[in-house]
Amino acid sequence: MCFKNLPIEFDAQGNATLKRNVADPYHYVETPAPTPIEDDPERMRQLVERNGGVRRVDFDPVTRVAGALAFHTVVDLDQREVLETASMATLFRGYEVILKGRDPRDAIFISSRACGVCGGVHATCSALAVEMAFDISPPPMGVVARNLLLSVEYLYDNPIHLGLLAGPDFSEPAVRETNPEIWERAERTRAPGRALHGYEFMSQLMTDLTPLTGKIYLECLHMTRVAREAYVLIGGKYPHPQTVVPGGVSTTIDTSDLNEIMMRVVRFFDYGRKVMAIWNDLIDFFYEVNPKYRDVGTRPANMIEPGQWDDPFAYDARFKSADDWGRQRWAPPGVIVDGELVTTSLHMLNAGVEEFVEHSFYEEWTGNGHGNDYYKFPTDPAGNPLSPYHPWNKETIPKPQGTSWKEKYSWSTAPRWDRLAMETGAYSRIWALAQSGDKDWRGSNYIHPTGHSLQIHLPKAELPNDLIEWHIPETWGAFERNRARAHCILYNAAIAYDNLLLAYDLLRKGGPDAKMSTPYKVPKDFRMGVGLWGAGRGYLTHHLEMDKGVIENYQILTPSTWMASPRDPFGNPGPYEEAVAATPLLENYEKPEDFKGIDILRAIRSFDPCMPCTTHIHTDDRTISREIITCACGSEGPHEH
Amino acid sequence: MRVLVGGVGYRYLRDNAVGLYMTDQLSAHATNGTEFEDLGYHPIGFIFNLQERPAYDRIVLVGAVKRGREPGTVTAYRWDRTLPSDKEIQNRVSEAVTGTISLENLLIITEAFGAFPDDVRVVEIEPAEETWGDGLSPVIEAKLTEIEEAIWSSTRP
Repeated sequence: MCFKNLPIEFDAQGNATLKRNVADPYHYVETPAPTPIEDDPERMRQLVERNGGVRRVDFDPVTRVAGALAFHTVVDLDQREVLETASMATLFRGYEVILKGRDPRDAIFISSRACGVCGGVHATCSALAVEMAFDISPPPMGVVARNLLLSVEYLYDNPIHLGLLAGPDFSEPAVRETNPEIWERAERTRAPGRALHGYEFMSQLMTDLTPLTGKIYLECLHMTRVAREAYVLIGGKYPHPQTVVPGGVSTTIDTSDLNEIMMRVVRFFDYGRKVMAIWNDLIDFFYEVNPKYRDVGTRPANMIEPGQWDDPFAYDARFKSADDWGRQRWAPPGVIVDGELVTTSLHMLNAGVEEFVEHSFYEEWTGNGHGNDYYKFPTDPAGNPLSPYHPWNKETIPKPQGTSWKEKYSWSTAPRWDRLAMETGAYSRIWALAQSGDKDWRGSNYIHPTGHSLQIHLPKAELPNDLIEWHIPETWGAFERNRARAHCILYNAAIAYDNLLLAYDLLRKGGPDAKMSTPYKVPKDFRMGVGLWGAGRGYLTHHLEMDKGVIENYQILTPSTWMASPRDPFGNPGPYEEAVAATPLLENYEKPEDFKGIDILRAIRSFDPCMPCTTHIHTDDRTISREIITCACGSEGPHEH
Repeated sequence: MRVLVGGVGYRYLRDNAVGLYMTDQLSAHATNGTEFEDLGYHPIGFIFNLQERPAYDRIVLVGAVKRGREPGTVTAYRWDRTLPSDKEIQNRVSEAVTGTISLENLLIITEAFGAFPDDVRVVEIEPAEETWGDGLSPVIEAKLTEIEEAIWSSTRP
């Protein structure tokens, strides 16, 4: 029984049904959000009387994240705690609206534009939804080609977060500015991982994390090239591939292509070990300096992960068999509640999802919470109960309005699983795999889950072969998110390697299994489908409904929608809000004006926010613009040229 | 003289695609060492691509930039190569690697990493419409001849 809050029970055969004799099973009564401190004069007076360190600190925009995120806090600088948080997605897109009425195949290429990093996984998720609706499945080589494409995509994604986005928070300039006492200690602390990363002292490592000039930063930029080169050998273009189609991949692969990809993947075995050693040393050093760093960005280990990298001989693109092919994935699906895996069923993962908009700039589509009498899909195609707030029942109705921290303040919805706020990321997939153990899993030549850890048996590259092990941490927080993400570089590389070997084998054998795609016709009757495939940053689903050959409804649910979410109607904050609220302010400041908020920023950035994905909605009269800082000086002649 | 003319922008954001539209159109007329290319991808990738090629004598970038001018205004100039602070450059790199495509980011990042030739020209167009959709606005459509003229002017020795 994986649900504690949804009205779903299971019969003796394990089939999910709605609880009987419940009149309005998904109905809820909204819990009012707390009054913001600034709107509560009495509380403000009490806080100010207690000490003078209460300050509103807004991060707008939060830099070094993808896209536009604003984060509101009220902090008590004397007590070194965060009193109030609100996460605000400020950017406007609109894929759900844009895709209505279009040929479903367009969704693959258009939804890819939702993100400038993970366009390939949006395209793939879309292709999965479309092929489920079309009732076609790819040949094994088509599946392997997708697996390769998206394992090397994550070899771009995870390193850029660590090297270019989160890494600078641990660099010499940042540490000197915010915690000079830590810098002084770093100068006399030897780095345990020197054999892998080459740095004798922690200070040297931090110096090379410095943006634009540090060797770690620059090497990361260089490795983005290696990953992209591997990617375009199958995808044609990065980040928006040209070859992802329903039923497979519209390109050919020969041994030479595989060799080219192999040469690049192998480099990540050594690079990944170096990145892992850098982050292990950084994290352990900070913990040693101050154990309270374990609490930066902490929250319950509630995670959701749809899985990815299909078994080419198990995946049939059918929803009814999704539990079977899902569990055969290299990264199986999983929902983790309070650190424990509660289900590996794609059906239950899907059935538990709801999206709420009480604090988002949308209209409620079911009739202000009273629309449970009738909705389109009370069950999924396999007969499992669905909520009226489920993506297949959702309509996107934008409603721009003024920002109120108590009412509506974000363009992100509030997705919940079993009415719990979940986070997701590269780490949720290794956590789920580590706990799922070997019993249902397809297996890998290089990866071995133990129930409490994940072992990666790395083949020899320039460095000798090695056994790497990631352990499920005792305390979950910002630093552990980064540590797990660093291990995921090796995990991604090992899966790419597994699939390369499989691809060589399929090529050698030839025949129908070595074909790249399956022919199809666009059906004209009503169909539905869903793509469930985690992005580099975690959970991603595309829910599709089509009729008469065009899209009727399309819903994209992304990792950062889960995590940047505002409060839900049950009074619970979203993951960023919850994690920052729990963050101790360990920065060294004497005066309020010296406060930089580094611990808050480390907490937020540890989730690897991707706001372009989050706010994939559309309003006709809003455009994205930013201040232009370069000068158009020196224009010449008539018409300014 | 080797000249690269690069269109910069997003294909599905109306006038934001004007640079790409122009290089698509003009690529059939590439002659005498003048190349046309879609640079609607992130500047780090562009820098790596430049490193693979023989040096250009001049790079001309074409794209929409919103500066509050009359929509359709065409501005051609030799870029003064002034860079913002390191912190701003760092933010632009973060944007670039996470998918932001803009003519300004391309200028700043390529210059910051020393990948430009000495001569960098820009042809900017003030967009009229930047919302989702295919095709250019009528305002920009009416300016295509002027934009083309500005591009060819920018390629001349």
